[in-house]
Amino acid sequence: MPPSVLIVDDSEFMRSLLREILADDYEIVAEGENGVEALELYREHEPDLVMMDIVMPIRDGIEAITDSDPDARVIMCTSVGQEEKMKMAVKAGANGYITKPFQKPSVLEAIEDVVPA
Amino acid sequence: MRVDIDSLDLVRRLAHDGAEQAAESLSTMTGVETRVETTSVTLLSRASARERFATATAGVELEFEGQLSGRTTLVFDAEQARELVAEQAPDGSDAVIESGVEELGSIMLSGTVDGWADSLGTALDMAPPTSLDGEFPIPAGTEYVFVFDSKLQGVDGGFEFAIYVVPDWEPLTEVFDRESDPGAIPIEKLAVFNDMTREGAAHAADDITSMTGIETSVEISQCSFVPVEEVPTHVGTAEYVGVVLEYHGRPSGYLAILFGEPSARRIADALLPVETDGDWDGMDRSAIEELGNIMTSGFIDGWANVLGTSIDHSPPEFVHDMGSAIVSPVAARLGTRQEHAFVIDSTVRTDDGEVGCSLYALPNERELMAALDDLLVERASRTGADPESVF
Repeated sequence: MPPSVLIVDDSEFMRSLLREILADDYEIVAEGENGVEALELYREHEPDLVMMDIVMPIRDGIEAITDSDPDARVIMCTSVGQEEKMKMAVKAGANGYITKPFQKPSVLEAIEDVVPA
Repeated sequence: MRVDIDSLDLVRRLAHDGAEQAAESLSTMTGVETRVETTSVTLLSRASARERFATATAGVELEFEGQLSGRTTLVFDAEQARELVAEQAPDGSDAVIESGVEELGSIMLSGTVDGWADSLGTALDMAPPTSLDGEFPIPAGTEYVFVFDSKLQGVDGGFEFAIYVVPDWEPLTEVFDRESDPGAIPIEKLAVFNDMTREGAAHAADDITSMTGIETSVEISQCSFVPVEEVPTHVGTAEYVGVVLEYHGRPSGYLAILFGEPSARRIADALLPVETDGDWDGMDRSAIEELGNIMTSGFIDGWANVLGTSIDHSPPEFVHDMGSAIVSPVAARLGTRQEHAFVIDSTVRTDDGEVGCSLYALPNERELMAALDDLLVERASRTGADPESVF
């Protein structure tokens, strides 16, 4: 069974892009639009990996990680390329960080480091 | 040279007074009521100044000296100017009309410099005006130039003129140093910020290229200082598709990323595998929102990394309207806290000019000045951050 992935991003366009990138090698179990949905969907599906944006309405990605399962594997998938934000993500418990825009090889490489296929 | 908001405002008002004199001269000569739409003080690198004025080919210029010295140039659409003059001399030959255009320019520029002299309470000597011939003159010996930029328009909207004053650096330094408070920031820090912004715009251009395959580059990047109520006029009335968002941190403010509709359509088509209905209510809207989100980070991350801070931004709000209508609410919100705005505007364009994007960043002015005050110039190159060094 391929590793299961939860995608969380408020952009419909970005969710479809990630879906396309991951479809061959991973099982997309659910998609959410904000940090609140991320927590609900995580508890429901218990994915092997969460690909999560930072800047989202209602609840951002870093806040969501802080409240999530400490064993959750999370890669931040975000346009924000600030060193301070990266440090905040590490502190919150993120396992990886990809900055947009990205290409398929760099996404797969980042995921392989966190959740080998 | 040290600058602060009050000294920038003083200099801007000087420029505005000069432009008002020029507008009055034009009104008197043509009988067409003319007003000054906007006056801004803009700091440009020499490279940006050359790009900005690359297409300025019709106009009149003159040199002036005294407490302030430099060059002022009136730029106009030659055909509009001829029409205005022809109305005053309906039986005039082409030669008479051309002479009238030169005289019109001369009178307006003399009025501009007279306005400066009156405001400074001094005398400024002027050399005879000459026609703008070839390249727009940029003073030698300085890495940066200040441009005082006024837009004049006939109240019936029939014509537009622009007056650019490029003062010599040393006398201008004396004015700023005299008028600024002891806590004013060195101009080098504003210049560093200008460079960071240009780099941010280049990053944003790379994001467009990376996501769409359409090669773009920064055409112009400049930091202007304008009264907050003039911000909508500064942006103009062209129709745009894009995003607006708010950023919070040091500094906080607003950012508008605007594409002309044909450009937005071309970009959306490049981003999406299938055509959309063109109503900007489906995946095409989401694509522009996400591109705007990514470009925002590309633009402001450099500020955060150099300033050693973090700057958050809201999810992008999709917009489709005239530029002035898009930024009016933003200007209104800024206007509750400040009288002026730093308008950081950058233009990103393809070589063929078919795809263009304008980025307008409007930071809180006091927070920006405070952040620049803390800026360590030696951090200026630290605009990028590498996740691998953090994780």
